[in-house]
Amino acid sequence: MLQSENQVSQQKVIILRAVVAAVIVLLLGRFFQLQIYRYEQYKVKSEANIIRVQSIPAPRGLIYDREGNILVDNHPTYMLTAIPVEIDNRDSIIKKISNYIDIPEEILTRNYKKYYLGRFHPTRLAKDLSISQLSRIAEHKSELPGIYYRLLPERYYPEFINAAHILGYVREVDRNYLETANQNKQYRLGDMIGWRGLEKQYELILRGTDGARYLRVDALGREVQSSIDHEVIKPIPGEDIHISLDSDLQILIRSEMSGKRGAVIVSDPNSGEILAIGSFPDYPPDLFTGITLNEDWNSYLNNPEKPLVNRITHGLYPPGSTFKPLVMLALLNYDLVDTNKSITCRGSYRLGRRRYDCWKPGGHGNVNLPKAIIESCNVYFYNMIQLIPLDKWAEICRDFSLGNPSGIDLPSELSGNIPDINFMNGKYGVKGWTKGQLLNIAIGQGDILVTPMQMVNMINLFATQGKSYEPHLLISRESPLSTSLEYKDEIWDLLHRYMFGVTHGEKGTGKLAQPRLEKVISYGKTGTAENPHGDPHAWYVGWAKMNNSMISVVILVENSGHGGDIAAPIARKIFELYFTKYFSEELS
Amino acid sequence: MLSIIKNKLHDASISLIMVTFLLSVIGLISIGSVTINQDISFTDTSFFRQILWMIPAVVFLFITFSLSRKNIYKYSPILYFLFIMLLFVPYLSTQVAGTHRWITFGSIHIQPSEIAKFLIVLVLARYLSNPKLRLNRKSAVLMPLIITAIPALIVLKQPDLGTAIIMASPVIVMMFWAGVKPFNLFLLIAPIMAILTAFNSLSFWIWAVLLLIILYLARPTMVMGVVVYFANIFLGLLSPTLWNMLKPYQQKRILTVLDPTLDPLGAGYQIIQSQTAIGSGGFLGKGWGQGTQTQLKYLPVQETDFIVSVIGEEFGFIAIFIILVLFGWMLLRMLKLAYESDNKFSSLAIIGIMVIFLTHIFVNVAMAAGMIPVKGLPLPFLSYGGSFLLSCYMMIGLVINLGINYSD
Repeated sequence: MLQSENQVSQQKVIILRAVVAAVIVLLLGRFFQLQIYRYEQYKVKSEANIIRVQSIPAPRGLIYDREGNILVDNHPTYMLTAIPVEIDNRDSIIKKISNYIDIPEEILTRNYKKYYLGRFHPTRLAKDLSISQLSRIAEHKSELPGIYYRLLPERYYPEFINAAHILGYVREVDRNYLETANQNKQYRLGDMIGWRGLEKQYELILRGTDGARYLRVDALGREVQSSIDHEVIKPIPGEDIHISLDSDLQILIRSEMSGKRGAVIVSDPNSGEILAIGSFPDYPPDLFTGITLNEDWNSYLNNPEKPLVNRITHGLYPPGSTFKPLVMLALLNYDLVDTNKSITCRGSYRLGRRRYDCWKPGGHGNVNLPKAIIESCNVYFYNMIQLIPLDKWAEICRDFSLGNPSGIDLPSELSGNIPDINFMNGKYGVKGWTKGQLLNIAIGQGDILVTPMQMVNMINLFATQGKSYEPHLLISRESPLSTSLEYKDEIWDLLHRYMFGVTHGEKGTGKLAQPRLEKVISYGKTGTAENPHGDPHAWYVGWAKMNNSMISVVILVENSGHGGDIAAPIARKIFELYFTKYFSEELS
Repeated sequence: MLSIIKNKLHDASISLIMVTFLLSVIGLISIGSVTINQDISFTDTSFFRQILWMIPAVVFLFITFSLSRKNIYKYSPILYFLFIMLLFVPYLSTQVAGTHRWITFGSIHIQPSEIAKFLIVLVLARYLSNPKLRLNRKSAVLMPLIITAIPALIVLKQPDLGTAIIMASPVIVMMFWAGVKPFNLFLLIAPIMAILTAFNSLSFWIWAVLLLIILYLARPTMVMGVVVYFANIFLGLLSPTLWNMLKPYQQKRILTVLDPTLDPLGAGYQIIQSQTAIGSGGFLGKGWGQGTQTQLKYLPVQETDFIVSVIGEEFGFIAIFIILVLFGWMLLRMLKLAYESDNKFSSLAIIGIMVIFLTHIFVNVAMAAGMIPVKGLPLPFLSYGGSFLLSCYMMIGLVINLGINYSD
C-alpha cells in the first residue's frame, strides 16, 4: 500500500505555496509595522517602563501647645522595601534578610503580603531599622537585588505630656481602608493617616503632599541616575497647628489623676479654648505607632479600667447635684419660686410609699433656695421639681447645650441624654412613668446622662452669663460660633451668688475648691452621682476669676466618693497653678 | 547505523537539518539572554536545560530519520493508540500549573501530546493513502475526523486549547491533498464559518448568501442542499450560546485581542508589553541582554511563548526577517518534498507535519505581535521546552526520512 502512487496536481501545490507565503508575508508585514513604522511610538513606551517613580513622603505638620512647646513631633526612621518584580526568589531573599537583621522570616513575609500593591511598587518589609541593621543590609547589597531602604519621617509623641486621647495617633492605610473609604484615591497603601483625636480632626491641615523623584533604571532594574526629563517634585510638608493646651496644667491634671479614673477639662470661658484635658487612665501615645504586639493590645482592650475609652467625649455619666443650678434656673425663669421661702428637710422625702433620701442623714432643717444650692439639699429640689413641667426643664437643659454634642474639635463624641416627655413616653409608655422618676431628675440622676465635655459648655455659660464660645483646641484667629442666652440679669446674679456660696459659705460643699489666692474668686457646684457600679462618682464644676480673666473646670472622678472631698481639691490646684503662672504680677 | 544515515542523506535533508540547527542556535542565544541575569545557578537556567534537551532531540531526530518507512507505516496505528492511552496518564497524577498536561519523571516533565500530534498525522496519512478508499464518498471524510477528534478532545480537556488546535489543523489540508472532493471539505468548513460570522448580523447575512451561491454551483441533491443550508444557518443562530459555553478567561482573551487597552493588567497586559518590546526593538534591536522590556521582566513567559518578542526587542526586525524567511523556506521545502514524493503515504505525512509547523509558527508569532488572542503555543526550535524540542526534531527526522525517493 506504501506503493500507492502519489499524484498531486500542480494546482494544489500552488494553493499551499500561496498559503505559506501569505502567512510569512502577513507576519513580516506586522513586524514591519511594529518595528519600523511605529518604532518611535513603542520606543517612548518602553522608555516609560524604565523610569521608576519614587515617592518622597511629606512630613506631617507638628502640633504645638499654646506656649510653642512641641507636643507631636516627627523623627526619622529607616524602612526596608522590596520591589517584587526585581526579586527572583522571594523566600530565599527574605531568609537572607532575616539572617542579617534578626527579624523573623514570618514577620517579613507577613509585611510583604500585607503591603504588596503591584509588581513595580516598593513593598515594605520592615520599619524602624537600627543603624547596625542598616549597615548589615548595605554590606550585603549585592546579594539582595530588589531590596532598598529609605528614610522617612515618623510620628513621635514626646513623653512629658501624655494626652493620647486628645492628640490621637496616625496609622498606616491598609488594604481594607483603601477598599472601603478611599473614595478620592488620595491615599495609597502604607501612607500615614490621622486615625484618632486631633491627628484625625486636622488631617487635611497636618497632612502634606508627597513629592516624587524619577529614576532611570538599566536593563537589570538598577537605578542608574535621576531622570533628566522629569524634575523632582518636592514634597509639600503639612502645616503645623497650634492648640490651646497648657503643658503645665496638662502635667498637673495628669499627676492629680494618677491612679484614678475619670476626666478633667480646664477651659477659658471667655474664648472657649481648652487649656488642659485628660481622660484617665490613658495609654502610652506610641501604642499605635510601632508594631503593636497582640499581647499589648489585649492587655489594653481587656483592662477593666478601660484605658482606651475616651471618657471626655464618650463617657456617659449621671451629673448628680451639679445639675441643681439648672433646676434653679428653671424655677427662677418661669417665676415658680420665692427665694426666701423655706421648706424643711428632715433627711428624706416621702412620695407615696417610697422614701427619697437627702445626702445628709440628719437633714438640713429649714432650707431656702440659696441654702439648697450651697449645701446641696436634695429634699428642697424634690419638692421644687414638681412645680416644673418636664419639657420646660428639658428646654433649659438644651439652652445649655446639654443633650447635644459639645462641638469640641475632636472627631467624635456622644450626645448624652436629656429626658423630656417624648423620651419618657417612649421609654416607659405614656402611663408608665411616675413622679418618682421626676424626683430623680431633680438631683441629676435617673435617665439623665452627660459627657464631661458637655458639662464644659454648661459651666462656661454659667461663668459668662450666657455668652460663651464653643469649646475648642485649635487656636484660630476668629473665635468660633458663640451662644447667647437671654435670661434676666437678676437670675444670673442669683446663680453667681449661690455658686459663690458653694465655695465660700460656711457649710458650702465646694469650699475645698477655693484657691488660696486673695484676689481669685471661685464659683462652683459639687456633685456626688449615685451609680450602679459602686461608690458614687465625684463631680466638681466651677470657675475662678480675677478681674476679667477666668478659667473653668469640669472634674469627674469615677467611684471615688463625695464631689466636695475628692474633686473640689483638684479644682483648687488647677486654679492656683493657672493664676500664679499667668498673673503673678496682679496677684501680689 | 551511520551507513544507513549516510545512504539516506540527500541534499534537501542536509539543508533542512542545517536550518533546524541554525534556528535552534538563535533560540539558545535568545533564551540565554533571558536567563543571563537571573539570580539562579547556571544549571537551573532554562538556557542550560535547553542545551541538555538538545542531546536527546538530536538522537531522536536520527532515530526517526533512520526508521524504515515500512515500519513507520506499520506501527503508526499502534503507537497512535498507545499515546491516546498516555494522554490519560497525566489525569492520574496531580495537576501541574493547573492542567493535566505533563507526565512527571522526577524533575522531568514529559508532554505525551507533543508526540501524539504527529502520530495523528501518520495515521491520517496511512488511512488517506489507502488506494481502496473511495475519496469521493462522504464517508471518507468521517474517519479522518474521528482519528483527529479523539486525541484533540482529550487534550482540550486537559485543558490545552493550543495543542488541540495544532492537532486539529492538519486534517483538512491532508484531505485536500489526498483528493477529497473540495465540496465535501467545504461542508466541514462551513459550520465554522457560520459560527464565526454569527457575531455580526451583516457578516452573517453575507455568509448566508454566499453559502446559497456555493450550494447552487456545487449542485448537490435537492434534499442535501436544503439540509446543509439550514443546518448551517441554525448553527450560526446557536453560536451565541456556544460563546457562553467558553470559560470567561477564554472569552476575555478573544475580546482583548480586539482592543488590548480593555484590560491593561490582565490578558491585554501581555499583548501590550509584547508589542512594546517588539516595536521598541526597531530595525537592529537593543543588543543581546540589553532589552529593557525583556530584562525588567515586563514580558511574561518570555523564553517559551514570547521568545519572538525577546528576539524582536534585542535583535530587531532584521532578526525577525531572517527567522521568518528561514521558516518560510523550510515550509516550502517540505511542500516540495511532499509534491515530489514517490508515494502517497509519505507525501501526506510530510504535508501534515508541514501544517503542524505552519500552525505553530503562525499562532505563536501572530500572538506575540498582538494579531490573535494570547494562546500559549511555543515557536518551533526557538522556544524553551524539552518535549516540544524533542517533538520538533522528531518531525524533522520524519520529513527527511519520508522525503527520500527510492525510485530515483
